[in-house]
Amino acid sequence: MVNVPTTPADILPFIISIITSHTFITLVIFPGMIHLMLASAFLTWYERKLLARIQLRIGPLYAGGPGGILQPVADGVKLIFKEVIIPYKADRTLFTWIPLVLIFLGTLPFAVIPFGMNWVIANLDVGLVFVFATTSVFPSMIIIFAWASNSKYPFIGGLRSLFQQVAYEIPMWISALSVVMLAGSLNLVDIVKAQSKIWFIIPAFLSFIVFFICIMAELERLPFDLPEAEPELVAGWYTEASGAIFMALFLALYLKLYMMSTLTTVLFLGGWWGPSFLPQPVWTIIKTMAVATAIIIPRAIYPRIRVDMLIKIGWTRLLIIALANVFITLLVINSGVLSAWGL
Amino acid sequence: MEIALAVPPDAVFIVLTTITLLAAILALQAKELIYGAIALGISFIGIAGLFILLDAPYLAMLQIAIYVGAVVVLILFTIMLVRREVGEEVVERGERGEGAAGLWIAGLLAVSIAGLAALAGPNLASTPPAGVLSVSELGPVLVTDYPVPLVILALLLSAALLGALMLAKVER
Repeated sequence: MVNVPTTPADILPFIISIITSHTFITLVIFPGMIHLMLASAFLTWYERKLLARIQLRIGPLYAGGPGGILQPVADGVKLIFKEVIIPYKADRTLFTWIPLVLIFLGTLPFAVIPFGMNWVIANLDVGLVFVFATTSVFPSMIIIFAWASNSKYPFIGGLRSLFQQVAYEIPMWISALSVVMLAGSLNLVDIVKAQSKIWFIIPAFLSFIVFFICIMAELERLPFDLPEAEPELVAGWYTEASGAIFMALFLALYLKLYMMSTLTTVLFLGGWWGPSFLPQPVWTIIKTMAVATAIIIPRAIYPRIRVDMLIKIGWTRLLIIALANVFITLLVINSGVLSAWGL
Repeated sequence: MEIALAVPPDAVFIVLTTITLLAAILALQAKELIYGAIALGISFIGIAGLFILLDAPYLAMLQIAIYVGAVVVLILFTIMLVRREVGEEVVERGERGEGAAGLWIAGLLAVSIAGLAALAGPNLASTPPAGVLSVSELGPVLVTDYPVPLVILALLLSAALLGALMLAKVER
């Protein structure tokens, strides 16, 4: 407990003690707000640059810094000063509030995702379920936003998003179950600690594949970007968003991309473990960027699949593979093959 | 240096209950059904907060994931697909008195339950608290102390899953 100051002379040490406390630093600076805003802004630039390089273009260049790295700043300033157009007869309250709720939902999972042994905001016992619970609220917010725009393309996009995210949530949960069984805990810090000798991608390779496909669908990335299919639906469920509302939605989407990449790193790629010449958070971020790259690259390569194929893959193939994988993992654990790595 | 939260648990309880009850009333009274569904979601989140207050974080998380993440989605889906066209004017439904009567009955019920609890509460034999179970202890307890309900639940859920798969796989 910090003593609340009573005399004016105590106020400055009080403020300093708050700012230098571990709670404040983890909340506001490192895994917290500042880091998240910078990371999601950087990801927009990274995606544009990467796609441009794959397609033999140059990409952002003139905004300043090496390779136009200040492009997100320019975009942000531009979008803030643009007019916010709210469609005729749209639901104004929901149309303006849902983007903020989406940003909130995008940042919330980082409260339990560890970036290092001590670099975690809340070491929660049910961390993994917390992350899944917060991500499961996304689709309902998206469909409400799509409904509030009062326009047909956003509504179709929102319905598609709902179908897709609800269908792929279940295999995602079940494929993460084998990691929980291997680590024997739902605590994300404990899950990473259990990977000190062997990353879970090796004993649970099949669940990694299922999980990766599911997060591609959850993030509405190609080949699963039906909710924002440009040739059919203009821009999908955020067609009517403009100015600051558009920026808020994009921030939420890139936060979700960063969150899913970090979650993959924590669950399958050994989290902060790596050679000790770099600090732990750096290893987490390097692996996260590798996963994010793997998520982004298909956008430049693959066409999108049809709705019926998408639903069929989700409900009949992935679900069954994920369920079968639970039993495979049980057999692997009970056979004692992994005892050499302390599992 | 850690900064502990200096909020009394009673205040948290009162705030959570107020949010839950107000959102539940709004869910019934909202003219626009979408707002009703959102209020229902907020009410579920309030109940999840109450679970956290009762030292059951796992239950709270599943409450959010299942009720807010799935049940509210189902309700929204039904509202959007079955009801009026998007953007059409809201049609006034029924008499305003019906909802008010429901509120009165609910209020009377709440007051009578509170009265009963106030009368009978001090006279009840006090049972020692069961102790807080962590998530990892939950599994062994389910398997050793409650195997029959667990098996019945598992059968029910598998039947539901297989039924859903059969419905989805109907040949056209």
